[in-house]
Amino acid sequence: MAVSVDAVYQKVLAILNKEQRGYVTPQEFNLFANQAQSDLFEQYFYDINQFGRVPGNSTEYSDMLTLLNEKINIFENIAEPTRSGLYFIPPSDLYRLGSVVYKNTTTDSFGTSSTESVEAERINANEFLYINASPLTKPKNVRPVFVSNSSGIRIYGNSEITDTTKVELQYIKKPAKVEWNYQMVFGEALYDSSASVDFELHTAEEVELVVKILELCGLLIKDISLYQVMNQEEQETIQQEKA
Amino acid sequence: MGLINKTDEQYYLGPDGVWDSWDENYGSYQFTSIKDIINNFIISYTGEDKIISKVKRSDVAFHAQRGIQEFSFDLLPSVKSQEIEIGPSLGFILPKDYVNYVKLTWVDGSGVERIIYPTSKTSNPLPLTQDSNYEYLFDNNGNIITADNSETKKRFEKATGDSQNMDDTDTTALESFGARFGSTPENMQKNGVFYIDQIKGSIFFDSSMVSKIVTLKYISDGLGSDEEMVVHKFAEEALYKHIAYSVLSTRANTPEYLVSRVKRERAAAKRNAKIRLSNIKIEEIAQVMRNKSKVIKH
Repeated sequence: MAVSVDAVYQKVLAILNKEQRGYVTPQEFNLFANQAQSDLFEQYFYDINQFGRVPGNSTEYSDMLTLLNEKINIFENIAEPTRSGLYFIPPSDLYRLGSVVYKNTTTDSFGTSSTESVEAERINANEFLYINASPLTKPKNVRPVFVSNSSGIRIYGNSEITDTTKVELQYIKKPAKVEWNYQMVFGEALYDSSASVDFELHTAEEVELVVKILELCGLLIKDISLYQVMNQEEQETIQQEKA
Repeated sequence: MGLINKTDEQYYLGPDGVWDSWDENYGSYQFTSIKDIINNFIISYTGEDKIISKVKRSDVAFHAQRGIQEFSFDLLPSVKSQEIEIGPSLGFILPKDYVNYVKLTWVDGSGVERIIYPTSKTSNPLPLTQDSNYEYLFDNNGNIITADNSETKKRFEKATGDSQNMDDTDTTALESFGARFGSTPENMQKNGVFYIDQIKGSIFFDSSMVSKIVTLKYISDGLGSDEEMVVHKFAEEALYKHIAYSVLSTRANTPEYLVSRVKRERAAAKRNAKIRLSNIKIEEIAQVMRNKSKVIKH
């Protein structure tokens, strides 16, 4: 499902070198590639918000929310946090925290234990004081809450939850750092697939990646016409998608 | 997939495998737990393209519990009761989950419950202690010293039915037959009376109630314990509507037409629930109504 970094680089080079405009080195390409990937990736979340406000459609491959979710699903991950001091520490590749899940184990009157996954609700630290003080809103194991800050996450059920095996984080991970790597063969930079890292974005994003990288290349080689053409191309795509 | 997750054997025998041994939880299928109510509400009423786009689970939990409280007060049937034998103290300590009483009865020899009525003619005021000069007595901290029981209560406990005018004994009944104007029906009975001392959290009876078996039927708020936090399936829809209305009406910038629509839906659902829970059965009504054709005799 990934986009080949080499395919994108070759297309960028082909378009960029047309009419001898200029050249982008692998190092520069790697910088632009990651910039373009981050740009597209971050935009997903705002697009979901935008498309959530318009009625969708039930056509199998054309509902915008479904398409966007499909693109984001690639980055969804589930992991157990680690524990440090009072806090649960999220995984290092976390980009956006989705749900904090608490595995609540109960034993019924027959002595049968069952574990049910319940989502902890995110609240602000100041809200916790009030929520915890009211008997009707006090967190319980069946409806836990969590408070997050720069130190980590604290989860509260009937009492504070500290068992890492009982907690699961559903999150969006950061896209891997893209890298077009090469080996020098007879003075030529030859693509080294084993040392390279592809774009993790959905295959459908290949064209958009090429356009965005070319925009940045236009700035690099001070060719404003290239930047303008690519920017126009990008605007047309956005207009078509969001019309 | 069905909702029942117990085998017949598990249902009838319970965890200990013994028939009818108080651990079976018979009849539990008629109720839905608050946990299910909250989950169902979040799934069905909140999210994109739903009536409530986003809501905190703790808000839903709060309104669900408040809903159960309100429903317990004026919608759900009262099911709580306690039976005790009244001792010489003539008191009945209020249950820990007591909110209000439905009725107090004493049980006669045939097991028939006879209603005990409240009296407004006495109470248990806070008794202040006084010295021989009728001045108040104070403790070392400067607070007034109070006695355990008020003189009013003591005298009421000692008094007999006739002096309390609670009996239907009427020596002039024959003489005044047909002309007993101005009598007070609340006192024209001999089932005893009670009053509630809210400060002490007790119900006190008149002296005629000593050694009688008394039953208190009362209302709680339905939130006493986790097991108790259930709502009858007849009122489940009404509770969803109640939560939806409560969430929308307390949220800023909600269109008023939406709030009033949900309010009407809530009222209709509550009315439906009340009718359903009234337990009206056509055969029973017919049997009661047959009474109307009897000749009324004096």
